[in-house]
Amino acid sequence: MATLHLLSHSPFSDERFASCLRLLGERDGLLLSGDAVHALQPGTAPRDALERLPASVALLVLEDDLNARGLSDRQPARARVIDYPGFVDACLQYAKVNSWL
Amino acid sequence: MNDRPLDPQALALDGDGYLLRLDDWTPAVAEALARNEGLDLQPEHWEILEALRAFYREFQLSPATRPLVRYIAQALGPDKGNSAHLNRLFKGTPAKLAAKLAGLPKPTNCL
Amino acid sequence: MARSLLIVSRQAPWSGPHAREALDMALAGGAYDLPIALLFLDDGVFQLQRGQQPGALEQKDLGANLQALPLFGVESLYACRHSLQTRGLAEDTLLLPVQVLDAPGLRELLDAHDEVVTI
Repeated sequence: MATLHLLSHSPFSDERFASCLRLLGERDGLLLSGDAVHALQPGTAPRDALERLPASVALLVLEDDLNARGLSDRQPARARVIDYPGFVDACLQYAKVNSWL
Repeated sequence: MNDRPLDPQALALDGDGYLLRLDDWTPAVAEALARNEGLDLQPEHWEILEALRAFYREFQLSPATRPLVRYIAQALGPDKGNSAHLNRLFKGTPAKLAAKLAGLPKPTNCL
Repeated sequence: MARSLLIVSRQAPWSGPHAREALDMALAGGAYDLPIALLFLDDGVFQLQRGQQPGALEQKDLGANLQALPLFGVESLYACRHSLQTRGLAEDTLLLPVQVLDAPGLRELLDAHDEVVTI
């Protein structure tokens, strides 16, 4: 049963990102919002880790948070940029949602 | 100490009739609380109350019904650790009533 | 059949309310015979350290409460090997019998449950 993981903390100051990648299944999805968007910062270990995820893992990024952090147009090609309705749709597409509160 | 029955009014209880201070518990307190519930404590009650107090010493919480049954079965055997026996002894609500008489806090994970 | 729940407990025992909340959720579910599993992850593995003496903190003894989990019917207990190793916790010193999982085991565990709550 595939899981959509919601991350909202910066991978540079918090362990959630690393632990989430450890639990992430091949058919799971990863949705970055809030400070978790900093994981897309080019030239960093979190960004590299995201690029290396199996192609079957969907990578979603919340548009408003991406833009606010100056990272629009710098996201990897595999990332899908979504708005809030897209956020809701994504949650419904997976069997369960794991929010890394 | 004298043999006069303890007055439940003299005990510090919470709104549901549970002892506020676990250290206040004595067998006489248990008897007073039982009288309050219209219950006359027999040896078969006491062995459950003693087991419950041991449970609390070990786990620092009051068991809900299911874990109570399981624990009594481990401690005293399956003829004691079953819901029929415990319901009969404690008026159908063993987790709540036995915890009250044993001087434990009200179980939190219990209907 | 009730839906199965995996609770992921990732906060250290005495740093806030989350470890307690995860445990209360597990105990409540277990008391109602729901299929519940509990995974200790990240700082959550510090909950499994033996010899915790929280008396002076005037809080309920989490370690003692944790040991009641099997009696509450919660016997599916897991810990993340990476979290244990990076925190210097040896498997044979823990206060609960947990199954220790590597990344593939963690993924299978998550996949096998209907719902997941990370606290």
